[in-house]
Amino acid sequence: MSSLPMYASESAKAASASESRYRITVPIAPARNARVIALDTRAASVARRISDGPWANARFYTCEAAPDRGPADEFLLYRLDGVPAALDDMLRDTDVVVIMATDDSGGTRAAAIGSACSARAITTAGVVLGDGFEADDAVAALRPHARVLLLSADESDAFELLRALRV
Amino acid sequence: MLRQDINELLTQTGPGTPMGDLFRQYWIPALLAEELPENDSPPVRVKLLSERLIAFRDSEGRYGLIDEFCAHRGASLWFGRNEGSGLRCPYHGWKYDVTGQCIEVPSEADNSSFCENVKLRAYPLVKVGDVLWTHMGDPAKRPDLPEFEFAHVPPEQTYTSKRWQQCNWLQAFEGGIDSSHVTFLHSGGLKSDPLFKGAKGNEYNMKDTKPFFEVADSEGGLFVGARRNAEEGSYYWRITPYVMPAFTMVPPRGDHPLHGHFWVPIDDENCWTYSFDYHPGRPLTAAERQAMIDGHGVHSKNIPGTYRPMANMDNDYLIDREAQKRGETYSGVAGIAMQDASLQESMGPIVDRTKERLVPADSGIIKARQKLRKAAIALRDEGVTPPGVDTAHHRVRSAAVVLPQAESFLDSCRDAIKATPGVPHSSV
Ligand code: FES
Ligand SMILES: [Fe+2]
Repeated sequence: MSSLPMYASESAKAASASESRYRITVPIAPARNARVIALDTRAASVARRISDGPWANARFYTCEAAPDRGPADEFLLYRLDGVPAALDDMLRDTDVVVIMATDDSGGTRAAAIGSACSARAITTAGVVLGDGFEADDAVAALRPHARVLLLSADESDAFELLRALRV
Repeated sequence: MLRQDINELLTQTGPGTPMGDLFRQYWIPALLAEELPENDSPPVRVKLLSERLIAFRDSEGRYGLIDEFCAHRGASLWFGRNEGSGLRCPYHGWKYDVTGQCIEVPSEADNSSFCENVKLRAYPLVKVGDVLWTHMGDPAKRPDLPEFEFAHVPPEQTYTSKRWQQCNWLQAFEGGIDSSHVTFLHSGGLKSDPLFKGAKGNEYNMKDTKPFFEVADSEGGLFVGARRNAEEGSYYWRITPYVMPAFTMVPPRGDHPLHGHFWVPIDDENCWTYSFDYHPGRPLTAAERQAMIDGHGVHSKNIPGTYRPMANMDNDYLIDREAQKRGETYSGVAGIAMQDASLQESMGPIVDRTKERLVPADSGIIKARQKLRKAAIALRDEGVTPPGVDTAHHRVRSAAVVLPQAESFLDSCRDAIKATPGVPHSSV
C-alpha cells in the first residue's frame, strides 16, 4: 500500500490538517435570496427579533387572513414596517421561502403560500415553533410543500437555520 | 455554514474542552469485548477523547482502563505483563490493578506503604452487550449503564463491529443523520447488499430521489423523518433517531436486521465508528452474521488483526471506476461503510464548516449541531445534565413505514420508534 500519488497530476490528498490548509479560500457570496414569512402573531414577533440578524438578502414578512368577505385562502402580506406586499412581488427573484408558524391559525395560509412556492419551483422550509404540539394543522398544511419541516421548541433554531443557509 | 468558533467548540473533545466535558457525561464505547477475549489477555492501547489509556482484563476477569504510562518513568504499559491480578511494567516492575492503584514497587522495602500513594488515572470499563463501555467523567455523576437495545438483546440476535475513521467525529456522525445522501451514494447497495436488498421500501427509495424531511426534537436528541412517495395517497417514511451525543440508527429494510452507529472521538482528527446490527425478534441467521463479518451492510472489511478498513485513504479506498461505469456502485467505492468514510475523510481531518453551502435538506445536521452546542454550553455554564444521559432516552428504534399522506410520522409511529423488548421492528 503506497501513499504516493497515482497520477502525476494528483499531487495531494486532503489527508492531513496541513494539506487541507491549501484549500482555496475565496469569499463565499450569499447564494440565497430568502423570504421569511410569519404566519401568526407569535411567529411575527420571532420574525421581528431575528430580522436584524446578519442577513445579506433575506426579507421578512407577516401574513394575515383577509377580512371576512374573501375566499378562505385569501390573505394579506406585510413587510415588517407595515407596508403591504403582494405575493407575486415577494416571490419574484427568491429561491427559498421559510415559513414560520407557532399555532394553527395560519393553516390555510400555509397551504396557499406553500402551493404558490411549489408552482414557482421555490424551495420551501417550514419552521414550526412550539411544544408538543399546538400547531398540528399548520404542520399538516405545510407538509405537502415544505422540503423540510423543522418542529422545534427552540426559537433560536429559526435563526440558526437562516444562518446556516447563508441567506 | 458554521462559525469557526462553533466549529471548534463542536469538534474539540480533549480534556477541559466544553465538548470534551459533554462526552464525559456519558458512557461511551471504549472497545469491543472481543479485544480482551480472556483473563490475562494482552493489554490494548485505547485512545479516547484525546487521552491515552490501556485496557486490560486481569486474572479474575475484571476489566480496567487506566493511564497508558507508568507512574515511575513513563514507559507505556502496553508492554506490561498482565499476570497475577495486575499489570506489571516490564521496565522496573511496578504493578497496577484495574483501578490504576499501584500495588507493588519492587525497589521499595517489603512492607513499604509507598505504593499506596501511587495511583494512575483510571476509568470504569464495563461489558454491556458486545461492547466495553467507559465513563470518563466525574464518578459522583456516573449515570446508569447504557440501555441501547443492540446491547441488550440476546447475543445471538446482535453483532457489533468497529472501524477506525481518519477524521473528526462530527463529520462522521453527521453522515448518520444525513438521510439525503442514501439515494445517491448508496444506491448500488440497495440493489446488491445482502443486508439491504429485496425490501419493498427500496423501490420507493429508488423511485423518489427527492425526499422531504421533518426534523423533530426528542427527549434524548432528535427524530429525522425522510419521506418519499409511495402508492397513491401514501408516503414511505424512513425515521432516523439520534440520541446525544453520538448514537444514530439507520431505518431498516424489510426483515433485515436493524442497524446503527456510535461515533466516538479518538482525538480531534480520528474517531471510532462502531456499527451494529440486531434483530429484536429473532437470532441473526448464519448467512447474515457472515455477511456482517465480511463487511457488508454498515460493516467494513478490516485488515486482519486491526480495525483499519482494507479500503482506506492510502489506497484510495480501492476505487473501481469500471464497477462505477457498470452501475454496481455509485461512487466507485464498494460497501456502504467505506462509501461514507471515503467522502467524510476526503473533507480533511476537520472540515472547515465556514465554507459550507447548506440547503434546507440539511436541517437535521443544522439542528443536531445546535443541540450539541446548547448542551455543551448549558453544561459548562450551569452544570445542566445533557439529553441522552437518562437511560430512558436510549430506548429508541429506527423505523421504515408507509403512512397515509395526512398522518404525522411522530403521531403514527409513537410505538414504532420505541424499543420494546420482544416487539418486532416496523419495517417495509
Ligand atoms: S454533493 Fe454533498 S458534499 Fe458534494
Ligand atoms: Fe451513508
